[in-house]
Amino acid sequence: MRPLLAATRPSLWLLSLTVALSGCAQSTVLLRDQNWRRTPGAVRVVVMPPDVQVSELTAGGLLEPKADWTESARRHVAAALEQQLHAKGTTVLPYEAPASGGADEAADIQLIKLHDAVGGAIIVHKYVPALALPTKADRFDWTLGTGVRQLQERTGADYAVFVFFRDSYASSGRVALMVGAAILGVGVPGGRQVGFASLVDLRSGDILWFNRLINPAGDLRTAEPAGKAVQNLLVELPL
Amino acid sequence: MSGLVLRLAALVALASVACATPRGAPGALVDIRPEERPAPDSDEAGLWMEMDRVEESLRTSGHLVTDASVNTYVRDVVCNLATEYCGDIRLYIVQTPHFNASMAPNGAMQVWTGLLLRIDNEAQLAYVLGHELGHYLRRHSVQRWRDARTKTNVAAVFGVLAAAAGQGYAGSLAQLVALGSVLQFSRDNEREADEIGLELMVKAGYDPREAAKIWSALDKERRAGKDSQPLIFFATHPPTDERIETLTSLAAKAYTPDRDWADGREAYVRAVRPRRATLLRDDLRLRDFARTEVLLERLLAAEPGSGQLYFFQGELYRLRNGAGDPARALGAYERAAATGAAPPETYRATGLVLMRQGDRERARAAFGRYLTEAPEAEDKQMIQAYMEQLR
Repeated sequence: MRPLLAATRPSLWLLSLTVALSGCAQSTVLLRDQNWRRTPGAVRVVVMPPDVQVSELTAGGLLEPKADWTESARRHVAAALEQQLHAKGTTVLPYEAPASGGADEAADIQLIKLHDAVGGAIIVHKYVPALALPTKADRFDWTLGTGVRQLQERTGADYAVFVFFRDSYASSGRVALMVGAAILGVGVPGGRQVGFASLVDLRSGDILWFNRLINPAGDLRTAEPAGKAVQNLLVELPL
Repeated sequence: MSGLVLRLAALVALASVACATPRGAPGALVDIRPEERPAPDSDEAGLWMEMDRVEESLRTSGHLVTDASVNTYVRDVVCNLATEYCGDIRLYIVQTPHFNASMAPNGAMQVWTGLLLRIDNEAQLAYVLGHELGHYLRRHSVQRWRDARTKTNVAAVFGVLAAAAGQGYAGSLAQLVALGSVLQFSRDNEREADEIGLELMVKAGYDPREAAKIWSALDKERRAGKDSQPLIFFATHPPTDERIETLTSLAAKAYTPDRDWADGREAYVRAVRPRRATLLRDDLRLRDFARTEVLLERLLAAEPGSGQLYFFQGELYRLRNGAGDPARALGAYERAAATGAAPPETYRATGLVLMRQGDRERARAAFGRYLTEAPEAEDKQMIQAYMEQLR
């Protein structure tokens, strides 16, 4: 019987760790099929609610979730996604929660959670050579499964874009610690921005395109750098 | 710049960590008000947001007990205790066989089914729920977060200074001390929540002497179980003996013989009994048989001659299957059958034990009895196949 503190999901720790390990490669984009092109004509894309969380890194190294920062980051990311997908000539359908609520809404939430989990697995097994899976060495065939069809039927979209972002900023105390430590010759890491995104075929559930982003600077809390982050993430999106 | 100046600059920068740390020292906060929501730019709002995310996950979890009657029952007890805070608390009953309840800062309360199985009555439920409400009212999560933040900040500064002095291990020692001290703080929170729990149950008219009884019962179970050694340094809870003592003396002060105290056993039994077979089956899945044995003995003491409980004693021995256990299982099934209120599965289980022992005739008879008692059983065809084999 204890009050629940912020529950940390181990997968996310693993994720930020492996992202940090893998460094900044040149092209980080993964394609299911190198020759894939979108079907000619109008393409309808639904933008799933981006899973964004922004935290402050305390001097002691704890991540303190920030509600107001997260709220504006979520808004900026969603707006940038819509605007940039629209610029690519697709019909963007903003996500709307099912009118029926209940089980349908739960299914959508599960889908976003599933994407978090699958994306985490891709990061671990595709970007970290030491953890590569022998059976997936020469292919990229991750999928969210045919459970996505209910989303296809409800929205009429062909594809969905899922986005995940975790962003943190050093508190003023952390900055002071970093400065002091640097003068004394001790390294103390600051905040960082990590994210990944998928283009999902809503008939098969297959992930057609995947990219991840790691940025020690960046700022999702304001519109312009948030747009930049989304742009970097959506690079080489085959739409 | 000389080395000395550099060092001084570093110390000034490090000293400013403490000043730059936002918001005040850890400690008592003003109790949360009904319908209060934290300011959007506060650390408290951050914790709420994080828990909203966890709650969303919980709301769509397959482990949630959706049965309306037991939800309504526990919910009513919560509201009776929480009064004007009732609308701020959202209850989630989670099907998991461990004894636990928890309170998130945003008002999401979890009650695990292992708890519903183990309490004797509504008064004990009220104490546990009151304890959780205490965490909510006193904003313990926020207090603990701030406390952890301050202590890890201090530990980080110490760690950097120690590392610069070439004493790298001193930094991790500081972190360990900070951790121990954070956990001590959490034990203090638990004590305070216990006091509030008792206060709320007394206000609602429940017999306060019931509270300490849960801990004695759980302690007996724990001693019998696999994990009987508590981790003293990392324990987040006050030691059981101390807890029982405190609750007993608080109850003695609050209890006055002139008042009409309720234990609410009947209402509890009415709400939870229909689910008990499921809860006991979940508990057996932990395969911590010595512990379940203690639990079943306690339940039988409160309800002597229960066919269901005798049956589960038999199940425990059948599943454990150690030396002498098959005979013990058969004995328990017989006791269950003798009550005239044994679940039909008693006869199937009897048949399985006898079949394993090679007693074909009696096994067949037991299976036959099972199908008489439960003619629409899902495993009817399998049992018929067994009976065919035993012919």
